[in-house]
Amino acid sequence: MRPENLLELGATTRKLTLGCPILDRHLGGGIPCSSITELFSESGCGKTQLCLQLLLSAQLPASAGGLSAASLYLHSKFPFPSRRLNQLSHSFRGSHDPHDNIFVHPLHSAHELFDVLLKLNPLLTNPPSYLPVKLIVIDSIAALFRSEYDNNPADLKRRSSLFFKISCKLKMLAKRFSLAVVVTNQVVDFVESGDGLNGVRIGNLECVFSSGRRVCPALGLSWANCVNSRLFLSRNEEMVGEEGDVVDDGGSGVVSSRTKRQLHVVFAPHLPYSSCEFVIVKEGVFGVDR
Amino acid sequence: SFMIVGVVDKGHKAVLKPEDKLKISENEALEILKAASHGCRLDSFEGSHAIVNGAQTAWEMLHDEAMLTRITTSCTDLDNILGGGISCKEVTEIGGVPGIGKTQFGYLFAILDFCINLELLLLLRGNRNYRIQLAVNVQIPADYGGLGGKAIYIDTEGSFMVERAMQIAEACIKDMLEYDGLLRKDSQTRHLKMQPKELLGNIFYFRICSYTEQIAMINFLEKFVSEHKDVKVVIIDSITLHFRQDFDDMALRTRVLSGMALKLMKLAKTFSLAVVLLNQVTTKYSEGSFHLSLALGDSWSHACTNRVILYWNGNERYAYIDKSPSLRSASAPYSVLYNFAVLCNHASRKLGEI
Repeated sequence: MRPENLLELGATTRKLTLGCPILDRHLGGGIPCSSITELFSESGCGKTQLCLQLLLSAQLPASAGGLSAASLYLHSKFPFPSRRLNQLSHSFRGSHDPHDNIFVHPLHSAHELFDVLLKLNPLLTNPPSYLPVKLIVIDSIAALFRSEYDNNPADLKRRSSLFFKISCKLKMLAKRFSLAVVVTNQVVDFVESGDGLNGVRIGNLECVFSSGRRVCPALGLSWANCVNSRLFLSRNEEMVGEEGDVVDDGGSGVVSSRTKRQLHVVFAPHLPYSSCEFVIVKEGVFGVDR
Repeated sequence: SFMIVGVVDKGHKAVLKPEDKLKISENEALEILKAASHGCRLDSFEGSHAIVNGAQTAWEMLHDEAMLTRITTSCTDLDNILGGGISCKEVTEIGGVPGIGKTQFGYLFAILDFCINLELLLLLRGNRNYRIQLAVNVQIPADYGGLGGKAIYIDTEGSFMVERAMQIAEACIKDMLEYDGLLRKDSQTRHLKMQPKELLGNIFYFRICSYTEQIAMINFLEKFVSEHKDVKVVIIDSITLHFRQDFDDMALRTRVLSGMALKLMKLAKTFSLAVVLLNQVTTKYSEGSFHLSLALGDSWSHACTNRVILYWNGNERYAYIDKSPSLRSASAPYSVLYNFAVLCNHASRKLGEI
């Protein structure tokens, strides 16, 4: 057993750009390698879009914040979003067809995920693509656990055990092959329970809100212990315009609402809390400085 | 003003015990240091050079391992409830939910440990009432290197990020420079020649990816530490992760965990190390409801000498002494700052939390 030389690791951990310098800045450069980053949100907030964007940015050279790498996209939601991927590919600035460096594998259960991880070595050591695989995306982890497990203590314990099995395997692969691992998760409604444990605070946000209601990340406290960093994408309606700005025939101000989307750092071993507003447009997901 | 906390004779044996603190004048202090410098390899003692070297000899004596029994957390309130800091001969467990700052404490002990004047950092924090073990105001050498200890950081989670460690190292050196400036009475401000990289270079970092690797690592520690006597701290972040999967034989898991605990306690005692174990939190069902408790179960809870639980109290982070052979249960607030690892709240309000 020999210790690693920290000074040889480089001044910063290698990061994968999100494809937007504003978002990257809030995350200290992007998604870290050799680490598991979780992205959780309500459905329709941009998780999958951000993941697709990462599949493309991974292929960029290091000078552009990429990993010069292919990616593996494990999806538990169907169908695979090929149309959106095609749309995003049009903005891809590389010289080759980006589809050549994206491997897609469907998942139907948590056990299937674990099996796939066990058999991943050949793909990682000897990829059929020109570029080595350096990014694994699991979209989404929550969907894999929803059907098989009930809400009784025994099932929850079995489920929790599987979380750790999967996480430890992923972390081992991440370390050995310097992979960036991104996992998406869903939310559940916050329900006040007598013991106060349902909303036990995890990370920088005391309460997590989306679409105007209080939510929690799915899969509970156990799963929270299985990821290195956790990011939250929120969506809320915001009223814009003040009274007196524009006056209609009735003499009162016009107020309209817009969708405000934000990316929050819930916890990360290298980042302070920050939040960044972003938009989803045809070309992809981009941060805005407001 | 100066305070003697210990005196040695030529054979480096303590003549005066640390408890017999004496208040003396600057002249008296210089006289004593002159006498102390007789015992070192100096041919003459003209001017301040000899005094500084004499101070170094006395300094080395004062920093004898037997005398340094606590490592500060750099947070006064927290140190106070810990009886001065993390104990250097025992195992301390620190547990809490994700994002509460466990790994930040890990970085802290790995880096701060190397800075010899740990207690003096508290002077910077403005806490002069704190019972400082080595209360010296004599001139100290600008060269701090060589007297500090090294750290072993065993990372089972993959949470160690080099840039964060560098950030903390830079903040630590900035503190030392500030202290150096405060204390230097003459016009020559000698530059601290320490770079953040040096602090990082003093951390033996091991990345562990499975429970078998973890067991092998802990078994290997005794040999490693006996070959690297300057190691003062062992941090395991976290002790828990690889043991939370299903073991076919749970009785085996319990035996393995107890074995690990015993080895670590023996290591701490034999080599006078501070062993810090970071632990996760789980929900436990007892007395009709769920509670938060440290992972690894009841049998493990008997294994650690000292237990600290980190938790949220509204928007503030708190540390709670859950178990200790010598300390009362008490809580203290702390903060995690972007430009430092951990600080107590009144200091963070002054600096402004980011």
